[in-house]
Amino acid sequence: MTLTPRRLYIFTGKGGVGKTTLSKAFVRHLKNLNHEAIYLTFKNQSLSENHVEKNSSLETHGIREVYLDLEECAKGYIERRLNSSMIAGWIVKTPFFRALVNMIPGFNYLIYLGKILEMGKDNPNLIVILDAPASGHALTMVESTTNFQHIFESGVIFEDTHKMLSRLNDPNYTKIHVVSLASQMSWQEAIELKSGIEQRSPVEVSITVNNCLWPLVEQNLSDLPPGLKLKALNEKELLQDHAPEMLCVLPHSLESFSQGIEMDLVGSLSKLI
Amino acid sequence: MTILTKSFEIFCGTGGVGKTTLATSRALCLAQKGHKVLLVTIDPARRLKDLLGLSESSIGEVTPVKVKNISLDALLMSPEKTIQRMSQKYQTPDLASNRIVKILSKPYGGMNEILSLVEVQMQFETGHYEVIVLDTPPGSHFLDFLEGIGKIRSFFDQSFVEIFSYIGSKTAKASKKMFGLGLINKVISGGMKKLLSYLQKVTDAKFIEDFIEAVQIIYQSKDAFMKGLALQDRLKSRTECNWFLVTSVEQGKAAEAVEMKSHATHFIHQDHYLVLNKCLEEEMKDWFPTESNLSKLKVSLEEREKNLKLRLKKDFTTILEFPEIMSKDPLDHVELLTQSWKKYVS
Repeated sequence: MTLTPRRLYIFTGKGGVGKTTLSKAFVRHLKNLNHEAIYLTFKNQSLSENHVEKNSSLETHGIREVYLDLEECAKGYIERRLNSSMIAGWIVKTPFFRALVNMIPGFNYLIYLGKILEMGKDNPNLIVILDAPASGHALTMVESTTNFQHIFESGVIFEDTHKMLSRLNDPNYTKIHVVSLASQMSWQEAIELKSGIEQRSPVEVSITVNNCLWPLVEQNLSDLPPGLKLKALNEKELLQDHAPEMLCVLPHSLESFSQGIEMDLVGSLSKLI
Repeated sequence: MTILTKSFEIFCGTGGVGKTTLATSRALCLAQKGHKVLLVTIDPARRLKDLLGLSESSIGEVTPVKVKNISLDALLMSPEKTIQRMSQKYQTPDLASNRIVKILSKPYGGMNEILSLVEVQMQFETGHYEVIVLDTPPGSHFLDFLEGIGKIRSFFDQSFVEIFSYIGSKTAKASKKMFGLGLINKVISGGMKKLLSYLQKVTDAKFIEDFIEAVQIIYQSKDAFMKGLALQDRLKSRTECNWFLVTSVEQGKAAEAVEMKSHATHFIHQDHYLVLNKCLEEEMKDWFPTESNLSKLKVSLEEREKNLKLRLKKDFTTILEFPEIMSKDPLDHVELLTQSWKKYVS
């Protein structure tokens, strides 16, 4: 039996855990299974003055990468609501609107997620793999539900937000992958992030441990320099202690460049669907 | 190389690079040299919090901490507590009385960077400290932090003043008190009026009302925020502030550090430092594996680090390298990194 994939996969975790490479490898994995998957990430976190960027999309080695721009996504939403591209263009440029978006936690994510859900509506076969920014942000993203219910108590934005979040919080639509390294510090943070998200959303959250030296070096432990040996043994202990809480454990790739690492990972990602 | 100790030392970088641990060890190193140090941190991992002995009850309060017999003060930022301190010190209104301001001052809300500036300024004014080490919020939050200055300005710029005047009768009394009659009678440029009418179309009237109240409350704290703003000049000054941009080998992306720099150059002076954490070069320099998998492993680790350094050298004149600490114990991390900082202190 083949699993039907979700429509949105969010990869999150601290910097340096390999989210980008892993997200791209997962897109590739889904493509190999004949699904229409794209890699997507955000260009910016806040609205700034003298802004010139646009949403962009490119094809690298057979996968589509989409980079969203906050201002253009905001403009698109206002345009649909007010039926005027000119007014929307003017509103997003006002200092007042900029301050509003930049100051309310999660407003930026709401704008981005709105765009992602709309893309999903336009193309019912599309699977979006979101490479989300570092963990604090991911919590803000989930937390924005409550923030917005407190800020906008009624009105069009409130209704739109509500509709959007109920789709986002649908376990059949969305799945969240927290990416961690096999170190105590990283693991601790991944666990805290997972439980933080679970307190706020019914969406399924799993932890994937990436870039492990163990068990890669198991046979040659004595030939490692002392620091790396200690690192490998700490990893061994962590992996043994917490095996049931880990969805997927991925080895350190012996490739040196991200393209090669990505190709290396593709074969090991079936559990992530 | 020696890095002169300054009144302010600021650590910026994306999450997961070890920024907080590095800031903590820098603070400890300076304290060990006999300086009176305050460490202000935003969001340390729980294990580091435990190590510093910062329990729930000390969040938002200056707390004396002792690590391996080195004493310093630490402050784990809490937006709420900073607001309380502000209102005591400057007799500003309690910002938390309005639901919107309350949300803006949540962790990760847009008030955090401004509040941390105000907090550092207040702590500096106590005159207790020779050095304040500031660990800024992670990621592009750092850029927000720099832009925080702009945010304060934009908050108090003309368009916000216009909101009060536009709303007219409802807030006329309050506005009168704040700005005098002249402003209220001032001809409002069409922009703000139109914008609020669009906003009203998509939200409810209550939101507009609360939002305007929020702006008023924040406006009344103007003086306190402006004091924080004054700090900007000190932070810009070469003689008063050191900037450390932190990244790690694990991170593997020069792009983020370079982007950080390009955002920062208009703000920070030229002699800032790139801190490259979790280097393995030292660890591997005497390692010559013969087994095929191990030599591949060595090459892959070495190549990744080498390529990153080459890339970084194009954009940064001073790169400080710190080794990856393998121990499970956060105390070892802090201790060994404190040791590593010593070679940069005169």
